[in-house]
Amino acid sequence: MTIVDLMSEAKMNVELRSKVIKKGKYELYNCFQCMRCTSGCTSMKLLELKPHQIVTTVKLGLIDELITSGIIWTCAMCLKCTERCPQDAAPSNLITVLRNLAFDMEANVPEAYLKVVSTVLDVGLIQEEQKVTSRDFEVYDREQLNLPKISKPSETFKNSLLILLTPEEE
Amino acid sequence: MEIGVYWGCMILTSQYAYELSLRAILPKFNISIIDIDGASCCGAPIKNVNQNAAIYLAIRNLALAEKAGISELLVPCNGCYLSFSEALYHWKKDDTLRRELSNLLAEEGLEFNDNINLWHTIDFLHDKVSVEKIKTTVKKPINGLKFVAHPGCHILRPSTIVNVDNPEKPRKLDDLIEALGAESIDYPEKLDCCGGGLLLSHPESALTIAGLKLKAIKNLNVDGLVVSCPSCKIMLGAKQEAAGTIVGEKLQIPVFYYTQLLGLALGIEEKSLGLHLNQSPVDKIIEKLT
Repeated sequence: MTIVDLMSEAKMNVELRSKVIKKGKYELYNCFQCMRCTSGCTSMKLLELKPHQIVTTVKLGLIDELITSGIIWTCAMCLKCTERCPQDAAPSNLITVLRNLAFDMEANVPEAYLKVVSTVLDVGLIQEEQKVTSRDFEVYDREQLNLPKISKPSETFKNSLLILLTPEEE
Repeated sequence: MEIGVYWGCMILTSQYAYELSLRAILPKFNISIIDIDGASCCGAPIKNVNQNAAIYLAIRNLALAEKAGISELLVPCNGCYLSFSEALYHWKKDDTLRRELSNLLAEEGLEFNDNINLWHTIDFLHDKVSVEKIKTTVKKPINGLKFVAHPGCHILRPSTIVNVDNPEKPRKLDDLIEALGAESIDYPEKLDCCGGGLLLSHPESALTIAGLKLKAIKNLNVDGLVVSCPSCKIMLGAKQEAAGTIVGEKLQIPVFYYTQLLGLALGIEEKSLGLHLNQSPVDKIIEKLT
């Protein structure tokens, strides 16, 4: 018999749940729902992120629903929940594992995150060198500020990064 | 002494004021800088899509630092500092991962021996250089000014990994501000996040979070806000006007990197500290000081 969520008719996905727990070496059953994480959550007021509910939802095995819902991308990664959790159940770590899984399964990852990955693969940094404007509207680059040239990373690292970014075959 | 510096993407590609001010102040304490050749992203933004890839990037940069003969590494960006600290934590604990990453590093002729000591700017100035030394080196104390400190999330948490004094009541940055002769006011919103972590997925909420913090600071009637992280500086400084618009508040709070304020107190000329690049209205404070 499987547990079915009557609101959404979602069924638990035991396989994915084990994957999440294994991937994050996550102490899922440590959580006793004290809600200390949620009461101090940066994203709670504005985006209705409730870290303790993320933990429960993983416990219920509703992983597909979690990673496609977009809620895992509302976390600001301020890490207050991890600091304050009395049970070492660090919801922010769980959210990171879910985000990683969403990337592997190509499930609803915000475009901007994917763009960062491709820029890092392309230039090695999160962006190219920018020109900046001072308060009196003069434009400066590194050279004009007498800062040394940026030394770009070798091409070899991109290959290694790509290997790691490719989802493992089961 | 000599210290290696890993600047990270944001400082190298746009937050030049942090780099300028650090390069200007360190020699005043007889510290010279070793730059790392071929450094890449620290891994922090990649952690969202693949944690092992992020750890690889972090360890690769640390291996490059070791190759350059660096044993003490200054990491001025909070995000990079946490990324490296976390990577070291996993490197020490996870044998399988260590083997896998060592093989990937070998492709580039690199190896990592875990002989490196990490410092964030605030920890370095507070714990290594010391508050006393800063007090005695200051030439033009900034007496009579009131500031608030915003240390930023990733040098405070998780306290098991970073080098914080008290994660719920951090004082290092305050002590450093007070070493310059100024006053550092405690405030309830001190630990509030700048919102930077949401800029990619929810920019409006990110600005609201920054705006609410700045609004609270405005009501304290202080002379300025002191930060130590390039991401926080962008959110609270460069994006201050936009953040104010979203929360319906006219905001004119001068925002400084601590290293800029320290530079002023050391008598360094303002352009060498990149103060002309700050987007927040810092002129009124500089005028008071010069």
